[in-house]
Amino acid sequence: MADASAPEPRVLDQPWRIWASVAVLGIVLSGVVLGILIIPVVQGRGDGIDAYTAICRALGILPGSPARQQVPDRTPPTPVSQVVWTPAVLQILADAKPERGLAKAQEVCVACHGEQGVSATPEYPNLAGQSGAAIYKQLNDYRTGSRTHQLMTDVAKALDEATLADIAAYYAAQPKRNPNPATLADSPPAIVRLVELGDPSRNIPPCAACHRPGSGGPIETPILAEQGKEYIVAQLKMYATGERRNDVYGRMRTIAAKLTPAEIDGLATYYRAGFR
Amino acid sequence: MRNVERLCLAHFWVAFAAFLAAALLGTWQMWVRSPLGADIGTPGQYFMSVTAHGVSMAYVLTTFFIMGFGYFVAVTALGRPLPGKLWAWIAFWMALVGVVMTVVPIAMGQASVLYTFYPPLTASPWFYIGLVLVVAGSWIWCVLMLVAMREWKRENPGRPVPLAMFGTVANAVMWLWTTVGVAAELLFQVIPASLGLVQTVDAGLARTLFSWTLHAIVYFWLIPAYIAFYTIVPRAAGGRLYSDTMGRLTFILFLLYSLPVGMHHLLMDPEHGNGWKFIQVLLTAFVSAPTLLTIFTITASLEIAGRLRGGRGLFGWIAALPWERPAVLATGLAFVMLGFGGFGGLINMAYGMNAMVHNTSWITAHFHLIFGGSVVIMYFAIAYEIWPRLTGREHASLAPLRLQLWLWFIGMMVMTLPWHWLGLQGQWRRVANFNYADPIIAGWGPLVIVSFVGGLVLLASALLFVRNLAVLHGSPLPALHRPMYALAVDPPRRVPAALNGFGLWNVLVLVLMLLAYGYPIAQFVITPSPTAIVHRTY
Repeated sequence: MADASAPEPRVLDQPWRIWASVAVLGIVLSGVVLGILIIPVVQGRGDGIDAYTAICRALGILPGSPARQQVPDRTPPTPVSQVVWTPAVLQILADAKPERGLAKAQEVCVACHGEQGVSATPEYPNLAGQSGAAIYKQLNDYRTGSRTHQLMTDVAKALDEATLADIAAYYAAQPKRNPNPATLADSPPAIVRLVELGDPSRNIPPCAACHRPGSGGPIETPILAEQGKEYIVAQLKMYATGERRNDVYGRMRTIAAKLTPAEIDGLATYYRAGFR
Repeated sequence: MRNVERLCLAHFWVAFAAFLAAALLGTWQMWVRSPLGADIGTPGQYFMSVTAHGVSMAYVLTTFFIMGFGYFVAVTALGRPLPGKLWAWIAFWMALVGVVMTVVPIAMGQASVLYTFYPPLTASPWFYIGLVLVVAGSWIWCVLMLVAMREWKRENPGRPVPLAMFGTVANAVMWLWTTVGVAAELLFQVIPASLGLVQTVDAGLARTLFSWTLHAIVYFWLIPAYIAFYTIVPRAAGGRLYSDTMGRLTFILFLLYSLPVGMHHLLMDPEHGNGWKFIQVLLTAFVSAPTLLTIFTITASLEIAGRLRGGRGLFGWIAALPWERPAVLATGLAFVMLGFGGFGGLINMAYGMNAMVHNTSWITAHFHLIFGGSVVIMYFAIAYEIWPRLTGREHASLAPLRLQLWLWFIGMMVMTLPWHWLGLQGQWRRVANFNYADPIIAGWGPLVIVSFVGGLVLLASALLFVRNLAVLHGSPLPALHRPMYALAVDPPRRVPAALNGFGLWNVLVLVLMLLAYGYPIAQFVITPSPTAIVHRTY
């Protein structure tokens, strides 16, 4: 009986289609009227913004807070490094060819840094398995004078950007070895703690937050592992005194200045080994 | 049951194995963040653990559970064999291979990117390709659900699709819509970046595409709980469903209003105009409609059960309910958590209040309470309810089941309420450790420890849950035969096509998505924004 008296589904459907569409579109329309017209115009009036600008801002066509021209400082800041990671620069790195890099490296690099990136003496950094972006950034800084070294400045100035990228790619492709088999287990707990957790009470972040592959540091951060102790000690001391200053935002100068000589020595010893 | 027991059990056991592993990791994380574990673990290990915890709980537990439950419903509610069972097994193995491909890079520390896809931070390609396989497996499940409903309709012209299946198909349809956003983000942005094919990525576009998926995915996880509320709980309580139509409307409203609302996760993002945020927040407010409908309908259904059992007076029916039954108990506890979590959610969706809580523990606490609390406790209830059907054995005693549900409820409340409070104090989220030597942070210590105790109770409950299910496999009692699904007070004989299928609603979802996301996505093409350097973590 119920079946017989039930209206045909098709007849029932039409009002469903109409009213469901009316309800849904009505809700969206009220959102548009409120969110894009009424609220921006009313709120904008209080802030002295005309109705057209207010509506465009609500739509995201005009910026919400227009940029104001900055008053130029009398001493404009000089960037500590000329390297800018634009898509074009990143593409140069991505297109670099290790084979081309090898040829050039044999010409100018291997005497100090070794053919496989293992340096002749611990004063020179090992380059094997180093991040390509890190090598490129340092070479470019030598080229532009952001970082200076009695040998490296002239070497880098003689090379163009694409060649720097090739050399960086070549050394980045060399496998890490363990030229100095110091084990991490030998490191004192305080040093391991500094590496892994930093020291929040002195505002020192953990080294591992940036200097380990896959960690969260900026793209140019070097991987610290299997590195000559003397090289690291020298760099940290130069950062601490401000003699070396090509670290963006002064990150390493800030950190190194807070480290004690014993900590600098301990960290450099730690980083002679590979990373965990 | 028609030979899908092994299929369902395989899905459920993968889901619950991931759940147990994630519960262990979660407790460890609570520990290392507390003053008690200040010297344990490194930030690297912490973020690795959070990634594994999130992926296991949010992608593995949910997807496998929902697929298994869907197959169960398709067979039991429709009373016919599952079409394409071979495809179901293919989908299962595909998703399982995907899980392994995802877990291995996480364990190797090459994917510590948490479970959200927010470039420029990028994990190993294997991580993403594995997750794509999990999603592809779930797409096969969606198609099988649609085919099962279509075949049943052809055999039963004019008859209303059983509510449990209607809800399941609503979820499948919603999931197909939902995954478009994240699939586009992964295929066109994240995976090319991860493979090194591109060096920069438009983070704003990626966040917008992820927001498309981000909120609806929560409803994908939630709908099985709602299916249980409507179709399992009234029967378990010994009553009837107050209204079948309310159930259908609820699932339809979830389909409509879970998708064009994701931008409320981007309220603090600069890439969209406030007008679009307003529209999506307004639509978000309408998601509360199906939840309120459900609370009303299920409470009415339980009142029917309570009065049938002799309950009298305004509230006497509550005491008369069979609280000793796990499904009824879980529903009561889920409603309490849904209440707290729902109010928290209203705060999150309000622009001004969101600005205050956005990057604090409040948010973490909120989604643990609402998903880990109300939804997962209903997963437990569903598992307890259908395990006898899958194994052919009956629970020897309901006491350990009730104990487990209570422990989960107590643990979740003890963990998340202080956590909310810490968020209001300004405790930030997504950090590995706190410096308790700082006098302000030291004040948080006691509440963090209380939270950790809640985590321990949750771990005990998780272990007991798996033990309860495992014990059932060896139970000597044969399963009792009883109906699975509740009858409605007024069982539907005919329903309009609009309440028996999804054609109309798919058109409306398309219109809503075009209106809500059309320009916000198109703007990235019209005026390309500066892109970010891909940050690879491997």
